[in-house]
Amino acid sequence: MAIIDFNGVQRVFRQNGQEFVALKDVNLQVQDREFVAIVGPSGCGKTTCMRMAAGLEHPTGGTVSVDREVVTRPGPDRAVVFQAFALFPWKTVWDNVEFGLISLGVDAAERKRRIEHYIGLMGLGGYEKAYPHQLSGGMQQRVAIARAYVLDPKVLLMDEPFGALDAQTRVVMQEELVRLARQHPRTVLFITHAVEEAVYLADRIVVMTGRPGTIREIIDVKSIREAEQWDRHDRIEDVMDQPSFVHLRSHVWKLLRDQHGADLH
Amino acid sequence: MLQPRLPAARVATLTFLGAAGFLAFWSAAALSGMTSRDFLPAPWDVVRRFAQLVVEPFAGFTLFEHLLSSFQRFGMGFLIAVAVGIPLGLLMAWFPWVDRIVSPAFDAVRFVAPIAWVPFAALWFGTGIGGPVLIIFMGAFPPVLINTYRGAKNVDRKYIEAAQMLGASHLRAMTQVLLPAAVPSIVAGLRISAGLGWQSLVGAELIVASSGVGYLMVKGQAAVSTATVMSGMVAIGVVGILIDVALRRVQAVIETRRGL
Amino acid sequence: MLKSITSPQGVPGFSFGALLRPLAGAAGGLLAVLLLWQLLTAGSGLISPARFPAPAEVGAALRQIVIEGYSNGRLHEHVMRSVLLVTMGFLVASGVGVVLGLAMGASRTVEALVNPVFLLLRPIPPLAWIPLAIVWLGLGDAAKMMVIFFAAFVPSVINSFAGVRQIDLPVFEAAAMLDVRGWRYWREVLVPGALPSIFTGLRLSLQASWTTLVAAELVGAIAGLGQILNQAAQDIYPAMIVVGMVSVALCGWLMTLGLAWLERRLMPWKAR
Repeated sequence: MAIIDFNGVQRVFRQNGQEFVALKDVNLQVQDREFVAIVGPSGCGKTTCMRMAAGLEHPTGGTVSVDREVVTRPGPDRAVVFQAFALFPWKTVWDNVEFGLISLGVDAAERKRRIEHYIGLMGLGGYEKAYPHQLSGGMQQRVAIARAYVLDPKVLLMDEPFGALDAQTRVVMQEELVRLARQHPRTVLFITHAVEEAVYLADRIVVMTGRPGTIREIIDVKSIREAEQWDRHDRIEDVMDQPSFVHLRSHVWKLLRDQHGADLH
Repeated sequence: MLQPRLPAARVATLTFLGAAGFLAFWSAAALSGMTSRDFLPAPWDVVRRFAQLVVEPFAGFTLFEHLLSSFQRFGMGFLIAVAVGIPLGLLMAWFPWVDRIVSPAFDAVRFVAPIAWVPFAALWFGTGIGGPVLIIFMGAFPPVLINTYRGAKNVDRKYIEAAQMLGASHLRAMTQVLLPAAVPSIVAGLRISAGLGWQSLVGAELIVASSGVGYLMVKGQAAVSTATVMSGMVAIGVVGILIDVALRRVQAVIETRRGL
Repeated sequence: MLKSITSPQGVPGFSFGALLRPLAGAAGGLLAVLLLWQLLTAGSGLISPARFPAPAEVGAALRQIVIEGYSNGRLHEHVMRSVLLVTMGFLVASGVGVVLGLAMGASRTVEALVNPVFLLLRPIPPLAWIPLAIVWLGLGDAAKMMVIFFAAFVPSVINSFAGVRQIDLPVFEAAAMLDVRGWRYWREVLVPGALPSIFTGLRLSLQASWTTLVAAELVGAIAGLGQILNQAAQDIYPAMIVVGMVSVALCGWLMTLGLAWLERRLMPWKAR
């Protein structure tokens, strides 16, 4: 697994001769097997950060590196889970999950093994031959997550993956992701605007402000989580009842609100 | 549309009246004796001639043999147009440099009506099959290329990004992502293309053929046998409809498979 | 040429280049085509002049037809003749077609009555009318007009009909409430509402008119652009064939542009 390194990253848009600074001086390091969530209001540039790590966008200043290599283009070593799922509608669940493995040149037997493992893990058993349009939103995102995990990528990049799901499915998915992350730890960069989600899932939270997008504060959640043993609770609502959780959540909210009166959404 | 739908019985009556009125007018003109029955045949003369042509050869072949000849040329021209148009459209959509090279050449040529290629077709192929095939290709190719290109270009960006993230090679990206995503547009293009191709065929056969249903009509015209010419027109119309119906079925099948 | 779909976003663009690039692209493309053409024909001899002429030969043919004339006339005379025929045929056909299409769209009774005949005519490709026209009217301009009529008539009807049918119901209801009738109904409700579709039909009719004229002239004519093609084919004069083809394409294209200009002027409310 690897480190994601944002070094003095800048992102400037030029339109009609006017300059618009989307990101300014972003410095962040995601350690090996660390789950880092970036929270911030809409338009603060958090998704842009993820897309730069993915190679789907490029910084105008500074560099983004993964595993000490500067990112220039997308690839299966930096797997992405998109908010809009982005599963190929014309391929079955199995074929969707398999697609990246074929690019990697993994042989047929190994592909089968890996796909079956993650299909089981994500509760997709029996749906291998289904098409995405036959599945619910939650199921589709499970496929997308399986598709990303199966690549055994260096880093996992998740762009508000539960944003398109209804509230109840969202909670279920959060619980599953936590279980998955504890079982198969990976380096993850997770983008969300939902504070609770970030506090529940992450080892560290990066709070960003917008216009221009910069890092306001980085909060260590892991130490609190381990000290307070949140993981002994199976259910998300029990974790969210913990005073330490509530306190942390309020802290992040305050950071987000207090932005010179700027709106949050 | 403010007017409510007419009851089915009324529609049937009006339709019948319209058809009957037309046929009555036509028959009256034919029977009036103003001109010879060869020049202006009655409707039933045309039907009879059509039946005749099915069994008796005219200008060398029976009606179905002529149709087969025409359809073969159409098939070849259409298939070549598809075989060249779809890959080229995908390549142009994926590789900007291919687009830059091909677009100007294509734009220069596509405004030339297919029929205008007849002189060159005659020059290069004489009355061989190459002539009509070339003209059909010129008619059928632009819609295939344009619709493939547009369909591929308009693929939702998220699928392209997913394909790139998953490390797809250029070939896999074009065949497994771009092509399936562009299928609705491509199939719509195929329908237009088939229509234009079939029409261009008729024009070509009027000039550079020695068989086929267009040739049949030219010979009918030379013999001043309007009934023959009209039989040809009917045959052309019917085949044109059949081709479109077939492609519409294909379109429907594809759409249900994709869950659209 | 549409924007590239594969390049990642965020590579800063220069506004200057964004303006010049498409222009340079088109001019460069044209130049490239010309160069390639010259190379393939005269430059290397890969394509013999008997099969396809070199640019210089086409230039010479063009000069000939503009100055001396070819096949009974000079270029502008041929053009005039063809443009005149197309315009007349197109105006008559689309005039009748649009009126009929609007009537069919507005009245279900008219639609039901006319449909059987229309469905009979519709599948017949425009060019298929040529032999019939020649039998009935001989090899002159009358035959060409008949063919142009049937070719241009059908798209106008179909599109005008569709244009009426896609007018929103509230528009009709408002008209009924405001008691708009007769001539006003046509002028204020039907025509403006259907105008975009009408123009689509006109564009298709114009294209069909050109195609059928050229085809009809190829079969047998005295003068006109198609006749240039016909004569050049018989004389085995490839360079002149090219001149003819380009002239046809250009005329058609220019007339289409004219139609588009008219469309813009008549429909200022349409968002582009």
